[in-house]
Amino acid sequence: MKKIYIINILVILVGIFLLFSASKDMSTYGTFDAASASGKRMKVAGELVKDKEMKYNPEVDANAFSFYMSDADGHDAKVLLNKPKPQDFERSEQVVVTGSMREGIFVADELLMKCPSKYKDEEINLRNQG
Amino acid sequence: MASIQYIGETLWPGFIGHVCILLSFIAALFAAVSFYNYLKSDSETEKASWYALGRAGFLIHGIATLLLIALVFFIMGNSMYEYNYVHGHVSDDLPMRFIFSAFWEGQEGSFMLWMFWHVLLGFFFLRKKDRWSASVVMTLGLIQFFIASMLLGIHIPLFGEEFKIGSNPTVLLRDMIDAPIFNKADYLSLIEGTGMSPLLQNYWMTIHPPVLFLGFASTAIPFGFAIGGLLTKDHTGWLKPALRWSLFSSFFLGTGILMGAAWAYEALGFGGYWAWDPVENASFVPWIILVAGVHTNLVALSTGYSIRTTYIFYLLTFLLIIYSTFLTRSGILGDTSAHSFTQMGLEWQLAGFVGFFFFGSLLFYLFRRKSIPTNKKEEGLNSREFWMLIGSIVLFFSAALIITSTSLPVFNAIMDATIEPGYIGKVIEDPIEHYNKYQLWIAVIIGVLSGSSQYLRFGGRNWDGYKKTFFTHLGITAILSLIGSFILYRYFNEAHWQHQILIFSGLFAIISNLDYLITFVKGNIKASASAFSHLGFGLLIFGILLTGLNKSYITSDPFGQRGLLTQDQLNSNLLLFQNKPYPANSYMYTYTGDTLDGNLKKFNINFKRVDDQQKLVEEFDLQPSAIYDAKFTKIGAFNPDTKHYWNKDIFTSVSGYPSHLQNIDSLKVLEDRLVFEPYSVNFQDTFHIINEVQIKTGVRLDTIIGQFESYTFSPEHENIELDSVDLAVGAKLRFYHPILDTTYSATPALVLSEGLVYQYPVSLDPLRLRVGLDESVFNQVFTQEHELNYQELQLKKGDAIQVGNFEIGLIGFDNDPTDSNYTAEEGDIALAAQLVIREKGTSERTESNPIIIIRGNQQFSIKDYLPALGLHTRFNKIDPKTETMTFSIAQEERNLNSVNLSIAQNVPRSDLLVIESIVFPGINLVWLGTCMMLFGLLLGMIVRYKH
Repeated sequence: MKKIYIINILVILVGIFLLFSASKDMSTYGTFDAASASGKRMKVAGELVKDKEMKYNPEVDANAFSFYMSDADGHDAKVLLNKPKPQDFERSEQVVVTGSMREGIFVADELLMKCPSKYKDEEINLRNQG
Repeated sequence: MASIQYIGETLWPGFIGHVCILLSFIAALFAAVSFYNYLKSDSETEKASWYALGRAGFLIHGIATLLLIALVFFIMGNSMYEYNYVHGHVSDDLPMRFIFSAFWEGQEGSFMLWMFWHVLLGFFFLRKKDRWSASVVMTLGLIQFFIASMLLGIHIPLFGEEFKIGSNPTVLLRDMIDAPIFNKADYLSLIEGTGMSPLLQNYWMTIHPPVLFLGFASTAIPFGFAIGGLLTKDHTGWLKPALRWSLFSSFFLGTGILMGAAWAYEALGFGGYWAWDPVENASFVPWIILVAGVHTNLVALSTGYSIRTTYIFYLLTFLLIIYSTFLTRSGILGDTSAHSFTQMGLEWQLAGFVGFFFFGSLLFYLFRRKSIPTNKKEEGLNSREFWMLIGSIVLFFSAALIITSTSLPVFNAIMDATIEPGYIGKVIEDPIEHYNKYQLWIAVIIGVLSGSSQYLRFGGRNWDGYKKTFFTHLGITAILSLIGSFILYRYFNEAHWQHQILIFSGLFAIISNLDYLITFVKGNIKASASAFSHLGFGLLIFGILLTGLNKSYITSDPFGQRGLLTQDQLNSNLLLFQNKPYPANSYMYTYTGDTLDGNLKKFNINFKRVDDQQKLVEEFDLQPSAIYDAKFTKIGAFNPDTKHYWNKDIFTSVSGYPSHLQNIDSLKVLEDRLVFEPYSVNFQDTFHIINEVQIKTGVRLDTIIGQFESYTFSPEHENIELDSVDLAVGAKLRFYHPILDTTYSATPALVLSEGLVYQYPVSLDPLRLRVGLDESVFNQVFTQEHELNYQELQLKKGDAIQVGNFEIGLIGFDNDPTDSNYTAEEGDIALAAQLVIREKGTSERTESNPIIIIRGNQQFSIKDYLPALGLHTRFNKIDPKTETMTFSIAQEERNLNSVNLSIAQNVPRSDLLVIESIVFPGINLVWLGTCMMLFGLLLGMIVRYKH
């Protein structure tokens, strides 16, 4: 048998093995309930609750920002992020946080947010004019 | 609705633009078909005419495309906001130097940029009339046909739904958006462009896209050669010309990616140069495959092995480029990427673009596969080609792993659309760790192969004689690298055994390639190109290891309270109050203020490093900044600033800034929330204010002691220009803060300007107070004209008399007086008196200059007012015979012994910011290593172009 075939088989085997092991790095977005139950680190996606308090007071802690978020089940929970408040956070629609539940608060160290595009803003602006 | 005759629109560029797009679209296909016929035709005469047709078609296509681009620049440069694309990307205040950035900020513009390079490359290949040039231009034409379709902007109703084909950059705004404003004929005078995102207003946005898109566009050339090879069944003739073009392409694509990384690092404040973001991956993966292709192409050219692999790699490179276009532009990445384009409704069209080329070219390859020659004899283990092939397969494997993980959102969408509606998509939990974990091993293998295969010869030539040299060099390099890895390992923080293996591999690549350059290359430039690239790769490994493992956050707050956040969670941000030094991690940080430069606010941060004996070791300033939008309503972006050393960078960004300084809406909310309480204070009396202050350890009650010192009629306030106001009064106040043991002075003021009274309150940030003068103060200290009691007096020059509390003397005249209330006319006689006034019991003399004007037989007088004395003077009459002047003087009866203040407390401070500083050791190895890799590619290209 040619060496190249052996190599190809080897590559395919390693590939399959890696595919299985890589799938362990992947998960669906969790919910606050699931995070409470498991106590494990997970990613929760949801929406920012805009009428509840958003708190960032650097004089108390420059590395703590808290807000309320509503997950896929519609459950609200307080989120404590170990970073300053991101710019334009109030405007965000979708929020994804990574962390775990501690004493009823979701303690996160990563946050991704999706803001509405400026084009949408402008379109609304134009529609409201005239 | 009757059609409206709109005012001020320029419509001809739109018409021409539409024609150009259609022409470009059709001519591209025509050129492709003609060149196809040229390649397939057997008769020479037919060939000649097909070639002529194809050439004409591509020329028309190219000219139409270039004209379209020129037109779009024209309407953008002239701010024609009636056009949708102009409205969305230009604004009146956008500096002209950003016109290029604005052009390719949007999807349509970047499609045009991509097309621009295809046209130029196509024109280059039209110079030569052979089958390979024809293949390349044919392929370019077919690709351009698809990209041009993205600009068509046609809406087709189908199955009750409206399908959008392309988005036209020369379409009118009113055709895109249905809004009541378009019922007005003069709507154009009411609208303004929305401009560019401030985040993109920098030189990176000017230089990065053209280079990256040249990289994208040039991958079509090796692809075109491969298609030509398959089409003509000449499977070897294209290998030589294709190689230099794939080197060209890998150089520009690599440079584009590097510029993107540098941009992310230098300006965007992502806190790193590479984050395995899907958009980054999408352009990185085709580059890896292209580099693998360069290697197999070299093998194929030198030995005749690996022709099939080369085909596959070149086809895949281009397919991955258009797949990456699909990923970044279709909106499918959703919330997994920080910087993809916004959705434009072209998902299906983009998918069609990818699908056509994907299935078309791969099926074509499979169809032709049998006819591609292979070497019957196996590559020997001692041959360079065998290990180059292995390396290429490993690169392919690396790319496959990355693109599979990156495509997770696509997989999710497919699952949702087909097998399982409502499928809940999966995401990678920790992308950076995920990718690093696998790519580390790829780097290990590539590092070792990039060194060891250099020592080998193609075909294992003269192996028996060479064997000894080979094993000596390999052995010594391996031993040196092994020893080195044990020594260097200790300099890495948090390094694991995997990292030690990577250190070994990186060292191996560096030592072996240096050795190869010195011992084997001996001035042979052609052979040195690969050594440079591989050496660069070894250096890059060290750069990545150092920046990744030894990165440190030097702004963690040693006195921070963590609460629920545990100690292991990153505490990397530091609060700084203006002019208040704060020590952390052997640095003393001071925020010394900010300066405004256009719409850029630069924050000045002073760094002082002290040693154990508190001796100053070094001192420097960094200026991270914030860009406001053109109207100063909000901050668009924060830019970091970096201190560069030869061995590290200190990267500093503003990570927190009071929201009322970030945008005007928050400022309004804050202003509305402030409660001003009245305080009535007598001269020299004190008053108390108690603030509740939240600090790290809880709530602190601050008692502040205020005192009214005196009134001033020339108040110093940063926003008052005393020369340009009519009247001003300020109250000098002092505030003492017992905890800070500091006294602050403040002078809130009232100003009369053009009949209106303005308030100038003072913010005392450290005291959290805003202090203003109540408007009643104005009437308290100033008396209106009709309430004044004037007293008449007559003076000659040199006279002085006592009036009430004042001694008034006339010392002279000014016969050319100026006053803001007086405009001189021809024939006027104007005279200002110079009255010297001294209050009883003081020695201070004040001059007063009332003016008299004689115009014909009319007389006017312009009075003078000395607010500090409360004295009004008028110059009423001149008696030329006796030289006696008549004046009238009035003194105000006023109360300067009390003041009404309005004070708001617990005001959020504006004199603070939060910074994050990261030390990146070895970052220069990342840049140096990458640049050397790219230099090797460039050198290879130049050498091959010359031969």
